[in-house]
Amino acid sequence: MSLLSVKNISFGYREKQLIFENISFEVKPGEVFCIIGPNGCGKSTLVDCILGINQPKDGTIEVSGRNLKNMKPREFAQHIAYVPQSHTKTFPYTVLDVVVMGRTFETKVFSSPNETQRNCARASLNQVGLKGFEDRLYTELSGGELQLVLIARALTQESQLLVMDEPTAHLDFRHELMVLEIITMLAKEKGLSIIMATHYLNQAFYLENAGVKTRVALMNHGGFDTIGTATEVLTKEKLQHVFKIITTIGTTVADGSTRKYIVPLRNQH
Amino acid sequence: MSRRKKILVTLLLVFLPVAFFLGTICIGRYYVSLTDVFLSLWQGITGHSSGLSPETTAVVLKIRLPRAFLGAIVGASLGASGAAFQGLFRNPLVSGGILGVSSGAGFGAALAIIIFNNVFLTPVFAFFFGILAVILSYFAGRIDNTSPAITLVLGGVIIQSIFSALLSLLKYVSDTATQLPAITFWLMGSLASTKTTDMFLSSIPMFLGLLGMLAMRYRLNVLSMGDREARTLGINVVGNKLFIIAFATLATAGAVCVSGVIGWIGLIIPHIGRMLVGNDNKWLIPASMSLGACFVIFCDTICRSITGGEIPLGIMTALIGGPFFIYLLKKTKGRSW
Repeated sequence: MSLLSVKNISFGYREKQLIFENISFEVKPGEVFCIIGPNGCGKSTLVDCILGINQPKDGTIEVSGRNLKNMKPREFAQHIAYVPQSHTKTFPYTVLDVVVMGRTFETKVFSSPNETQRNCARASLNQVGLKGFEDRLYTELSGGELQLVLIARALTQESQLLVMDEPTAHLDFRHELMVLEIITMLAKEKGLSIIMATHYLNQAFYLENAGVKTRVALMNHGGFDTIGTATEVLTKEKLQHVFKIITTIGTTVADGSTRKYIVPLRNQH
Repeated sequence: MSRRKKILVTLLLVFLPVAFFLGTICIGRYYVSLTDVFLSLWQGITGHSSGLSPETTAVVLKIRLPRAFLGAIVGASLGASGAAFQGLFRNPLVSGGILGVSSGAGFGAALAIIIFNNVFLTPVFAFFFGILAVILSYFAGRIDNTSPAITLVLGGVIIQSIFSALLSLLKYVSDTATQLPAITFWLMGSLASTKTTDMFLSSIPMFLGLLGMLAMRYRLNVLSMGDREARTLGINVVGNKLFIIAFATLATAGAVCVSGVIGWIGLIIPHIGRMLVGNDNKWLIPASMSLGACFVIFCDTICRSITGGEIPLGIMTALIGGPFFIYLLKKTKGRSW
């Protein structure tokens, strides 16, 4: 059974001007679903549809067999957790204060988090390798550490599906790898499903190589071009068609396995 | 905060307002000792004669007690609404007046002074026009059933400027011998007109607003993450915002209508609170209430005892609050927020 099922959805901010139409896909437990496509093709708009922020013009989105449209925010948060693309820090909360917000859905309107919920938040911080960060001010963290805090907050929701909008944007190599390792661990060991929009095409190869059930949706203006495994979708021809660039795809043997990588060569003129 | 600091801060925030409250009843041109204050209060509660002179009990029960009580609750209301709006609008530079409640109240008060010249109707008009201004700001800033912080603030700015233009118009047409001074004095803010009779009635909206903000204070943490994140964390953003705006407005309008426009408190008190207890609204809202109460009582005591007459409270809060805030800013080097 699939965890998330998107059926024929279309969306446009204005009448008669659709960003995309007829997008359908399913995400199964333990699967990482990468959405890849050029700037402005509607990746974030699609992510907003899955988050219930945009209401699709047509089609339905179901999570664990339930229509997203009929879900209250509180129920929604139990099924889907979100790691934002960028986060504006306004007040210097402590890291623990931020992470424990993941339990908001079970906190009554008039109450505050209790010790059980804080322990849950501490466990998430341990999972992302931020043990001992509880009392640090989250405004004083580096970009990479902040991203890990936001992932920990999403994990605190203990939902089956994580939606990440460009989870490694602005991160250095080390933190990019840390995020990918966390994604691998969550999918393989915990059986979580992850939807991630990304511009780093090699990440799909990384995940595939790490033994994660990876599917890639190549998105073009107007809708999905292809869905398949990284090897099936990320080919020279398809990248040229969607991104209008010339690439070469190479392989190298490292750490005992054959790894694929994409090297961009030049714009197609 | 560590456990020990939590206990210390809690004690401070509970006992400081009590000390200020009793202190302000003692201090004035007619000095009353602390023992006499307790005896008078005891007489007020039980009705048994305490053996004090009638002047002393009258000063304590009829003049200073209502004033201290209203000062405390006005300060608590302005401090807490400031903190609530800073969290809601994700902006540490806003205060309870950002949605136009003060300019609406100012206009309402001026209208009542010109039309009725009635002491009872002035706060009633101030209250309802304060609320009206916020409702107008909310609808001006609402877009497609949502209320993004930035358009709400914009709505507030627009409604504020409309009401201050209307206020100027009223000032322009008012009688310069009697009405204009009354309006001007009202706008400077004062607790001088408080009486025992309206002490409880006029504090009802403030109590309701304060209770609501206290109850919903954790939601402010979540809302300050921004609309998208707050929604995916599992709260109804529009509903929660609406309730918090309603409670903060009730408290601010309730305060402004009895005390006139007192600036500064909603802005600086939450910041002093942040320095003391951090940014978690679970602590910040009660801290702002406590500190706001202390600050207004303190300023009001100076207003009524430093000269033979009365200095408007709004002048004193800014004169004391401004330099004190600069001192804190330098001392903490702007850290912790």
